[in-house]
Amino acid sequence: MRPSPITLRRAARQIFFSSSTLRAAAPAPIAGRSLSTTTGSDCTCGNGSGRPRQIQHSQKLQQQQKQQQRSSYHSYDHPSSPASFTPVEESILSAAYLHVPAHGFTSSALAAGARDAGYLDISPTILPEGAFTLIRYHLVKQREGLAARARELFGGEGHVGAYKPGGLSEREIKGRVEALMWERLMGNREVIGRWQEALAIMAQPSYVPPALKELALLSDEILFLAGDSSVDPSWYTKRASLSTIYAAAELFMTNDHSPEFMDTRAFLNRRLREVNEVGGVFRNLREWVGFTATAGVNVLRSKGVRI
Amino acid sequence: MVARPALRRIAIPSLRTSTTHLESRISRSSFSTTLQSRNNQSSKPNHSVPEYAIPDPARPTHFGFETVTEAEKRERVAGVFTSVAESYDRMNDLMSFGWHRVWKDHFVSSLNPGFMPLAAPGSSPLAPQHILDIAGGTGDIAFRMLHTAHVLNGNPDVRVTISDINPAMLTVGKQRSGSLPASQQAALSFLEANAEDLTQTKPLGANQVGYSPANGVPDESVDLYTVAFGIRNFSNIPAALREAYRVLKPGGVFACLEFSKADKYPLFNSIYKQWSFSGIPLIGQLVAGDRDSYQYLVESIEKFPSQEDFRDMIVDAGFVVGGKGYEDLTGGVAAIHKGMKPRRK
Repeated sequence: MRPSPITLRRAARQIFFSSSTLRAAAPAPIAGRSLSTTTGSDCTCGNGSGRPRQIQHSQKLQQQQKQQQRSSYHSYDHPSSPASFTPVEESILSAAYLHVPAHGFTSSALAAGARDAGYLDISPTILPEGAFTLIRYHLVKQREGLAARARELFGGEGHVGAYKPGGLSEREIKGRVEALMWERLMGNREVIGRWQEALAIMAQPSYVPPALKELALLSDEILFLAGDSSVDPSWYTKRASLSTIYAAAELFMTNDHSPEFMDTRAFLNRRLREVNEVGGVFRNLREWVGFTATAGVNVLRSKGVRI
Repeated sequence: MVARPALRRIAIPSLRTSTTHLESRISRSSFSTTLQSRNNQSSKPNHSVPEYAIPDPARPTHFGFETVTEAEKRERVAGVFTSVAESYDRMNDLMSFGWHRVWKDHFVSSLNPGFMPLAAPGSSPLAPQHILDIAGGTGDIAFRMLHTAHVLNGNPDVRVTISDINPAMLTVGKQRSGSLPASQQAALSFLEANAEDLTQTKPLGANQVGYSPANGVPDESVDLYTVAFGIRNFSNIPAALREAYRVLKPGGVFACLEFSKADKYPLFNSIYKQWSFSGIPLIGQLVAGDRDSYQYLVESIEKFPSQEDFRDMIVDAGFVVGGKGYEDLTGGVAAIHKGMKPRRK
């Protein structure tokens, strides 16, 4: 039976419509970064007029879901998280931050900041985490400032991340990671005399989770800015090792009295080199296990076991 | 008293059902004006004082699970607290297993009154801090404030005014304050006032350092406004929040400790609800000889808005909040809400 022109037209519209919505649904996902599945990839178009509406609906749902889940890593698929601090918090904290070298990360600094910002001594008590809020302010601001530093260091306009179409070489990425980590450590320079106190506060049980989250966000930021786009399990191991190294280097820095923190820099380089070596060991180990396992299976097969 | 038949009608489903369901039942059965006035308030724009924030003696509100008018609620609450005033503190210990002390201590230490560092030499002398403790009746919060400020922070320049609508509760507080050190007694004053309208005040007793009855609490005169386990008894909470906004200095802090919702932990919540609906009225009957008043107390806890809703009411009154705006205590059985009056533009 010949299909009538109307059905044909409808089918054509359908194809056009759904392909355009599909294109809109997948905004250049960095491979593997997005955990959400893409919409309607199994869409066989042209049957029934309800289909595009369904797709649109599921898209809307998905967008809502995306808005609900705040991503804890860099993602093009998730809306950027809302500002970390409200304007009032920002005004108190930014004024208090100037008092940190003198008063440390304490409620004294907060009270002084509140007074500078035109508030009362009692005003900082609305900050939910007290002095820790000031520490978090430091962490967040330094992390957010890294993007601008990365642009200065490596060039690139506005959009930082994977610069070359084919990605960067392993060696280039490592160099950038090291440079960015050093930049971040230098961000502590002003407050380094107070940083041991801050670490002590961060180690208090109720503040450990937010502090660790900030550390995770930092290592993610560094790897993202360095242009790392790995999607294999090394996504996790890289972030984990980077977090460990950063925490260690920061601790080292609090006791470093060498000019321009030379010792810290050397320490950082040693740790990063070690990671490469350990990574090599792991690769070799994996190869060996794989080889042995295959050989074992082959031996068993040769004995007539049906595997 | 009147609370009981209402409870018997709806007590069992109320443990689980949402409040909207309850509200609809109540409004249908007794007062047809509820829905109408709610429509009015939603159509009203928000920027000036909204209609719902103007006290109106005839407007329906909750009294436990009952719907009464604002004026009636005021009277009945007065009745409840007059009858429990004597046994109030003992009952608090029994009902919360003494845990209310921990909450109150945490509340006061998180506010840290009297903390004024950096009295830099040569700088202008610090303005005295003024704390207004609303619904502070028996003085639990006020005495802790004075202790923190005078002893821990070594700052005698902190005044506390206890305000309560109920003279019976104030009298208990006044008696208890007799055991405080003289310096702290001197910094304390008592005030009989309705929190929805602090322009009308009546100092309790002679030689008061507080407010004159004519002017009430002036605009922008208070550093810290606290209300602990009181705000759910107010007839018109939005009006009280706006009054708090009026009397606070810019940068002043509104802090509220109140029972809240423990919905996040269903198992714990069911045990807690079981205890509060069957245990507390029973203890009230045995110890204070007054079941109905304690029945009202647990019902009013049930009717109080959730953490997020109350936070939104605070923001609606013009305050700014930090972070999510509240802190849960003991899984949400109680919660601390804080808001700050922003600086003038």
